Order: sequence, then C-alpha cells, then structure tokens
Amino acid sequence: MNCLIFGYGYMGQIRHEALRRRNDIGDVIIVDPAANSSEANATVLRSADQVRWDNVDAAFVCTPNDVTADLCVESLKRCGRVFCEKPPGRNWDDFSRIAAAADAIPGHILSFGFNHRLHPCVQSAKALIAGGQLGDILYIKGTYGKSGGARYRESWRNKREVSGGGILLDQGIHMLDIFQFFLGPLAVADAVLIDSFWDCGVEDNAFVLMRGEQGVPAFLHSSATLWKHTFRLEIGCRDGYVVASGLLSKTGSYGREQLVIGKRQFEDEALALGNPREEVIHFDRDDSWDKEVQDFIDAIKEGRPSTHGTLDEARSVMKLIRDAYAISERMKGLVHR
Amino acid sequence: MMWSSETRRTFPLSSVKPLEGMTPYRDYCLEATHESLRKSALRREESPVTGSRLEAFGEIAGLEYLRCPDTDSLFLASLPDTDTWGDLLKDVNRHRQSPTTFHAEIAPSRRENVHLPKLDWIQSVLVLEGLHTPSLVEASVPSSEFLPILRESRIFSEVVALDETELAGAPKLSGQIDAAALLESLDRAHDPALLVKVVAGYLRPGGLIFVTSLVSSGFDFALLGKRNLYLFPPDRTNCFSLTGLEVLLARAGFELLEVSTPGVLDVEIVRAHVERDPSIPLSVFERQLMARGGEVQGSFQTFLQQNNMSSFARLVGRKKR
Repeated sequence: MNCLIFGYGYMGQIRHEALRRRNDIGDVIIVDPAANSSEANATVLRSADQVRWDNVDAAFVCTPNDVTADLCVESLKRCGRVFCEKPPGRNWDDFSRIAAAADAIPGHILSFGFNHRLHPCVQSAKALIAGGQLGDILYIKGTYGKSGGARYRESWRNKREVSGGGILLDQGIHMLDIFQFFLGPLAVADAVLIDSFWDCGVEDNAFVLMRGEQGVPAFLHSSATLWKHTFRLEIGCRDGYVVASGLLSKTGSYGREQLVIGKRQFEDEALALGNPREEVIHFDRDDSWDKEVQDFIDAIKEGRPSTHGTLDEARSVMKLIRDAYAISERMKGLVHR
Repeated sequence: MMWSSETRRTFPLSSVKPLEGMTPYRDYCLEATHESLRKSALRREESPVTGSRLEAFGEIAGLEYLRCPDTDSLFLASLPDTDTWGDLLKDVNRHRQSPTTFHAEIAPSRRENVHLPKLDWIQSVLVLEGLHTPSLVEASVPSSEFLPILRESRIFSEVVALDETELAGAPKLSGQIDAAALLESLDRAHDPALLVKVVAGYLRPGGLIFVTSLVSSGFDFALLGKRNLYLFPPDRTNCFSLTGLEVLLARAGFELLEVSTPGVLDVEIVRAHVERDPSIPLSVFERQLMARGGEVQGSFQTFLQQNNMSSFARLVGRKKR
C-alpha cells in the first residue's frame, strides 16, 4: 500500500514513523515545500500538483488548518481513502465541505486523528466503566492545557485566519472527543472563551459546560496558560471514580500517564468516609498512534468504515466547538483583558 | 500495554500479620521444616530462576539460605522430597487455619485488607483485558482461604483448584483455562519453575497469570536481610527478587503486562523489627526515617511503590500465542 503525507511537520513525521513500523506499507511520498528528502528518507514533492494519484492508496492530511479542507476534499475525490489530522478544518463550514465530499463518494474511508481516546489511561477508564465496575457516569470534568511557550504568538495555530480558532480548537478538541467517547453526543449549555494572556486574537482559555442526552454534565477547561502542562480527566460514577492524568509524550511534560481508580465507600465500611482506597495504574507505553493508523489501514484492507475518528464523531465534536464559539460571541464576544 | 500499580490505602501491620503474634506460628513452621528435613534432604545447587550456581546467603534458625547471583533471589538450601514437602505444606496450612494461631483473630481484617483487594485487582485486570466471566485455576495448598472468595465472587465461569503439592497428579486440562492465580504459591513451591510450567499448560494461548509474592528486593527484606522475621520456611522457602519473578515468568513463555510492588507495610515492618530488637543496625538515614511521623513514612512507602521497591509484588503475564 502506497501512502501520501501532506505536511511534514510534527504530526506528519509522527504518521510517517507509524507507517514505517508497519510491514504492509510500500512507498510513502511526502508533500511539503519545506521537507528535506534525505532527512525524511522518502520522496518529497513540493506541491500537491505534482502528485501522481494513480500510485496512491491512501492520503494523510497533516497540514495547517487553512488547507486541511481543500486537501481532504481533493484526496477523497482522487483516492477515496483519507486520514485527516484534527481539527477537521478551521470551522463548521470547512468541516461541512469535507463531509459533503465524503458523502458524494460511495465506499470512501475517512478517519480523523483523535488519538487521545486511544491513550492507555483513557482506554483503561473506558474498559472499567463499560465493565460496570464503577456504575453509571454521574459527571465528567476535563482539564487540558499547556503553557504556550516562547514562540506561541508566532505559531500558525494562533493566527485566526490560518487556524480558525485558539486552544479550544487546537487542544480542547481532544478532550471533547474523549467526553463523547464516554457519554455519546453532548450539547453545549454554556461557554466562556477568553484571550487572557497571549493576546493573539484567539482564545487562550476556554470553559465549556455541556450536557449529555441523559442529562450527564461535562465540563472542559482548555488552556494555553497552564504554566504546568496538564492533562486531567475526572469521571465520577455511582460506585466510584477514575482520574486519568498525565500523558505519555515525547517530552514527558504532561507527567507520568496514570489512572486512579477509587471505589465509593459505603456507610458500613470501617474506613474513614471520604478517603477511599485507591489503585493507581502507571502506564509505560503509548501505542495510540500505531492503533490509530492500524485501524485506518485495516479499514482499507477490509473495505469497512474506520472504527475510531469517524465522520460522525468529527461532526459531533465540531458542532460542540461551533456552538461554544457562538455562545461566546453572543456573550459580548471574545473577552480581552 | 505494560503497566505498574500503586495502592493508596493504609492498614496497620497488626491487622494482617502482626510481628509478635506471628512468632509462635513462625516457630512451629521452623520446627516442622527441620523435622521434614530430617526425613530427607536434597541440596539445591542451581538457581531455580537462571540455573546459575547458588551462593551462600546465611542461616535462619539453623536453616541455610542460598542466593541467586543473577537476580538476588533467596532460596532455602535444602528441601526434602516432594511428598514430604507436600505433607509439610499441608500441615502448616492446617495449623495456620486452626484457632491456635493468631490468624483466626484477624481473619476479617485479612479478608478486608488482603484477600478482597487481590480479588479487586484480578477483576480489574480481567476487565482491562476484555475477559468476561473467564475460567480460572488457583494453585494453592488445600484448603485455600482464597478459593471460596474466588468462587463466591461470581466473576468466573469456573474456578479450578490446583493442588500445588500434587503437580505430578494434576488433572490434564491443557490449554483451556483463561486465567491462573498463584498467590504466594511460588514462595513455597518445591520447584517454582515446574509450578509455573504446569500452570502455563492449563492456560490457553493469551491466558493470564496473576502472581503475588513477597520479594527479597523490597525495602524491608533488603534492609533487614536475615533478621527479617518474615523470612522463614516453608512459607518463604523461595524469596524471589522482583527481577527473579520477571525472569521466571518470561522463561515460562509469558509476556509481562504488569510488574508492580503495591505494598503498604515495608516501613512499618522495619519499624516493628527495630522496636523489637534495637540492636538491628540502621544507617543514619534509616534511623531518621524510623523516627519521623506517619506522614513521612507514608510518603516513603509511596516512593517504594512507585519505583517497584516494596516487598509485596504483583505481576500479570499473558501466555504468548
């Protein structure tokens, strides 16, 4: 199977590495005006015009957000098998163009990169809750944030015309996907978005309150002013709780990935109420990238839709972001401090 | 996926294995072991883990222990024949469960703090691995305290009891069972490698093995050495290091999923030993640690857990396909 990667930045290189680890991938061609052929150890094309589509079995779109929709639509039309990094476009309109192109191509295979739901701490939480050990979910709270960094203001991710939005669209989208992984479709009840520190014209903090179809509440704090990098997902259930935190990443800056599992204490237990025993699982390996690529490649081989990062899941998460931005706009617009 | 675990819960040493209360039981075990060795004694020359020649370690109440040079695991130097050993284990097991030992008094606490957390652990791992109502074999010395708990849990479709003292006559259920539990079994096994091999034979490819053990690499064993009153046969005939257990399971064809030491009692065990025998030599750091309050000791215990340096070990392996 021959693959094409549009964009050879951080994500393009991660996808390339995941493809290299497989033995069923033939040629990988990279399309990026800035990529170096010898460093990438692959054929590099400078523009999409140079692509010979008859030799391409699948395309990975790992570009800045402003060209994502165009390349997804083109790739869907040309080869029908597309893996698109999050976010699926800058906004609802971009996403709708991708969705319309997909709908027009019978048998297409389209996956979106929401790898966080495949991290071991999230997968384990999902398995425990699905296994009924903790009872029904009562609420979910998620905090996901980074400190920005010295070149934050220069990054394309924070230029509205390129990215379409700020930290909510860039990083918060992962947590929203995780919320819906546990609760199904959510609706935004309220949102406060603020450009509080970086002054880039896009939100650097987003507070989004949501509700599931069964009324279960979920709350997200997505931030670019968390001076200590943080990933923390709390799920409260009738008979216990889980707290997933830390992320196995290249830099390790989010801390050791772990899952705390606590069981609700009952009145007849001798232990002090409010301080239940907890088990903490520490994970040593993140295979979320490999799992994601494997699901996409397997879907192609088996002629079935992908299991993760489906068009419906992408639609659902982009609706939340659209609605959060709309509510924020209605409430005096983006607050500048 | 590979993981390790820590446990955030506390209970006193006295509620599960009080040092003073244990002394008569320990004396009984030592005398019974001496008695069995008077009937027959086979010297162990090679490490049950790596096959390397065992080295001197020291004596516990006149019983010699040897050390594996590759893994620092400890082994009783001489064992009687397997039949005599089996009789010894059964005798000690009966004694432990009789009203004459301290175990009867703390049975409810042991159930709460020892057995049920182990059941929780097994259940959680089964869920994480997507095994629903699996079959399970428990290797133990009859009658097992844990077997009724396993059966009452209704987690398993079937719980098979494997008498670890009768491995030669074990029923043939080759490759059918989903999971196996060896809870401190390896610590007393006449031939631990054989026990793991027999249990592996029960498991289907992809089946899980759950092992708990007290390990020589843990804090209290490493610090107290021969003075550790919990190091005695037959219960601790083998005192593997954590590495020793890992090697043992890997050599038997298991891919390790979990390697953890979620023990909560190391510091308290050392403190109890020092209170009982103030002549136990401690470094300045160790004396400071023993003198500090529960919060500091708790933090240190957490450190031991997080870095696989506690003496209570938990491992999960998956039989390779």
